[in-house]
Amino acid sequence: MAREFITEVENTWCTGCGNFGIMNAMKKAVGILEDRDIPKSRIFMTAGIGCHAKIFDYMSLSGLYSIHGRAMATAEGMKLGNPGLRIVAFCGDGDALGEGIAHMMHAAKRNSDITVVMHDNGVYALTTGQRGPTSPRGFKGPSTPEGNNEDPWKPLVLMLEAGATFAARGYSGNVEQLAEIVAAAVEHQGFSFVQVLQPSVTFTNYFEEYNEIVTTLEEGPLEFDEALRLARQEEPLPAGVFYRKEKEPYEVSINRGRNPVEDRMRREKRMKAIGDTLGG
Amino acid sequence: MSERDTFSFIVGGRAGAGVKKAGSVASNLFASMKRYVFQMDDYQSLIRGGHNFVATSTSLRPILSHYMRADLLVALDARSVRAHREDVREDAVLVYNSDEVEEGDLPDGVDAIGVAMKEAAKEYPNPELRLGLAGPTALAACIGLSRDDLAELIEREYKRDLEANQAFADAVYDAVSEKAGGRFELEEGDEERPMLTGNEAIALGACAAGLDVYFAYPMTPASTILHFLAKHGKKLGVTAMQPESEIAVANMAVGAAAVGARAMVGTSGGGFALMEEAFSLAGMAEVPFLGVLSSRPGPSTGVPTYTEQADLHFALHPGQGDIPRVVASPGTVEEAYILAAEMLALVWEFQAQGVLLTEKHLSESRVTAAIDLDSAAEVSPVMHEDGEYKRYVSAENGVSPLLFPPSEELINWTSYEHDESGFTTEEAGEIAAMHDKRNRKTEAMKERLKGMRAVNRHGDGGQVIFTYGSTTMSVLEALKARGLEATVVQPVYLKPFPVWELDEYSGANPIVVEQSSTGQFATLLRYELGVEPSKVITKYDGRPFEPDDLAAELEKAIG
Ligand SMILES: Cc1ncc(C[n+]2csc(CCOP(=O)(O)OP(=O)(O)O)c2C)c(N)n1
Ligand code: SF4
Ligand SMILES: [Mg+2]
Repeated sequence: MAREFITEVENTWCTGCGNFGIMNAMKKAVGILEDRDIPKSRIFMTAGIGCHAKIFDYMSLSGLYSIHGRAMATAEGMKLGNPGLRIVAFCGDGDALGEGIAHMMHAAKRNSDITVVMHDNGVYALTTGQRGPTSPRGFKGPSTPEGNNEDPWKPLVLMLEAGATFAARGYSGNVEQLAEIVAAAVEHQGFSFVQVLQPSVTFTNYFEEYNEIVTTLEEGPLEFDEALRLARQEEPLPAGVFYRKEKEPYEVSINRGRNPVEDRMRREKRMKAIGDTLGG
Repeated sequence: MSERDTFSFIVGGRAGAGVKKAGSVASNLFASMKRYVFQMDDYQSLIRGGHNFVATSTSLRPILSHYMRADLLVALDARSVRAHREDVREDAVLVYNSDEVEEGDLPDGVDAIGVAMKEAAKEYPNPELRLGLAGPTALAACIGLSRDDLAELIEREYKRDLEANQAFADAVYDAVSEKAGGRFELEEGDEERPMLTGNEAIALGACAAGLDVYFAYPMTPASTILHFLAKHGKKLGVTAMQPESEIAVANMAVGAAAVGARAMVGTSGGGFALMEEAFSLAGMAEVPFLGVLSSRPGPSTGVPTYTEQADLHFALHPGQGDIPRVVASPGTVEEAYILAAEMLALVWEFQAQGVLLTEKHLSESRVTAAIDLDSAAEVSPVMHEDGEYKRYVSAENGVSPLLFPPSEELINWTSYEHDESGFTTEEAGEIAAMHDKRNRKTEAMKERLKGMRAVNRHGDGGQVIFTYGSTTMSVLEALKARGLEATVVQPVYLKPFPVWELDEYSGANPIVVEQSSTGQFATLLRYELGVEPSKVITKYDGRPFEPDDLAAELEKAIG
């Protein structure tokens, strides 16, 4: 049965929210991927918890709606369990760099073949606007009424250093480019990280600012050092594929080239292996 | 040998002296004599120094515990003599390292044989590591193994540096043979049985049922499941992975199950605490999820390499919310194999979560086991056949069929409360209906357990004794040691608690035996069965019960 890409679930994002741009880009990316022989049925998704994660209910893609901070680990388990699937994790900045930072760093380190799309609105939106790991110094929210007294992280720098083999930045205000970036990230075999600049109209309405400072990175992907240098840059903020490298995905070696669910041993063979193991 | 039907060997020394290896080789020797063996490793959470020992006991009948009163004690250092001087039987032989032990430290009334082990080892590389070899060598001499047979054993078990090993062993063999050669006569048994630990049995049982992936973060006493599956995974068709934390472990297992992979995780109390949120996720999303919790003394870091049963209530209630769950604890190594398979099959049948609760004493004890491998259960979930798919479609027993990607159908697993399709809901009727659906799985699991053996009853007479988990072995061996009559009731399943098999005991006054300081199992029995124990025998010093000591306590309690 052919389904609409957008489900009938009531959409509760604020009008003008950057999450719409990400969802539209994902819809296009799925089309692009189908043209590249990656059918929608082989894309399996997960999401954290936050405004961003509501994308799970709004798109008719299969998956598991995970918990706050754990979507990266959920995604890795999915890929390891069935390496024949393409796994996409939709995460928030709080999700991925706060609660779940360890999973992010290690997924990149081991080059797990998943795609993390990080909706970076610089705030904990769903919980009413507290500062997050990418909020600027001075950011005022209900938990920092006198202004954020921490400096923000630069997510691309972290991910490049951690070992991501695909690192990109997109902007929810540029759906066409974002769709191409996400499609390339999903197609890439290895850990793919996409930071999406996603203004929250309610808490961090950076649209005007972004429209000024977000540029298009024409020459990407770059050499590692150049990608890192550009990732550190604060202005302008180029969007595009910063870095891309071919490297065997983690799931190939850990599974010894097998697909756990498709190549499962038959019972007789398993029982014989158990007997042999016991015998010596 | 005395009129006892068990023989006990203890070898002790510093970590790094090959004590564990020495104990295992002794056990293997007993097993090769077609005898039953029970080996308990007592070691500390350190890599060098301290005091380690292995107690391995053997019999012609099935044996369910080590005995701490040794017939032969081999002390590789002074501390081992001091630690075990009270632990020797009357007619025991003590072989000690005379380069380290002061004669004044020797216990009275035993046949003490000093061997200059340090001196003998000094000539060869790795002298400290070589000390351990004195253990099996002294044993070989005392049970009258010929020099040739010993040479063969060393060739089998101590291959590295073989010549040096043979020369060192010869020196020890001569010294011991002179005074105690052939002192103990150990009869051959009827059949040679493989030796394995509880953790190995758990790993193999899960494999038998169809395990695909195992995730774990190192934590004693669960770590050897990870090591075993990492080592044998290729042959067994299992992927073993060590992620960055137990939080990652549990969430990866959830992800893997959502694409159809039969996953299992394993940890001890601290790691289990970190997994709670994922247990809750698995409960809401109805993800088949099996966790092994191997207990050590808590709270917190506690005593890493010792045993306790103080995680019972923790195992019964991990994670926020009402969650259908099955919790069970094996009483023997054989049962660990059967139960691991059975629980993996159950969690997939009911898309529920399971906790296989065990303790260091079962996880790491090594025994001769007679396992009927083929009796293991097999995972076989209810699958969606055709037509429109709804992940959480209403079902009489609460179990909605499964479907895995790739599929043209929409498959929505979720941590939020949801409607039948898996979309988030905050609607009152739907919230209550989904609770009811999940709770129906508990009822269905009870019905399922009614058709299985959820309680073991050992013996048939007189005093009723309730126990569970690895303490079952201690109780049964204690009764055997003293020839005491009792009915031992061992609930294997602890949730749902098999009240239907235990009706007859409501209002009874059983003796309860367990290894927790507050009597957690007794509390559970009071709550579930309304029993009032006449006596709760507890032990919470990290050490397993010793059968002779426990027998004395039981005798007193039985009256
Ligand atoms: C363990 C846990 N802690 C806290 C929360 C509450 N919580 C829900 S969303 C969220 C933060 C969301 O921030 P982000 O990930 O940036 O998502 P956004 O809403 O901005 O899209 C928090 C703290 C939770 N669900 N789980
Ligand atoms: S609060 Fe912000 S992030 Fe959340 S839906 Fe509204 S605009 Fe979007
Ligand atoms: Mg955010």
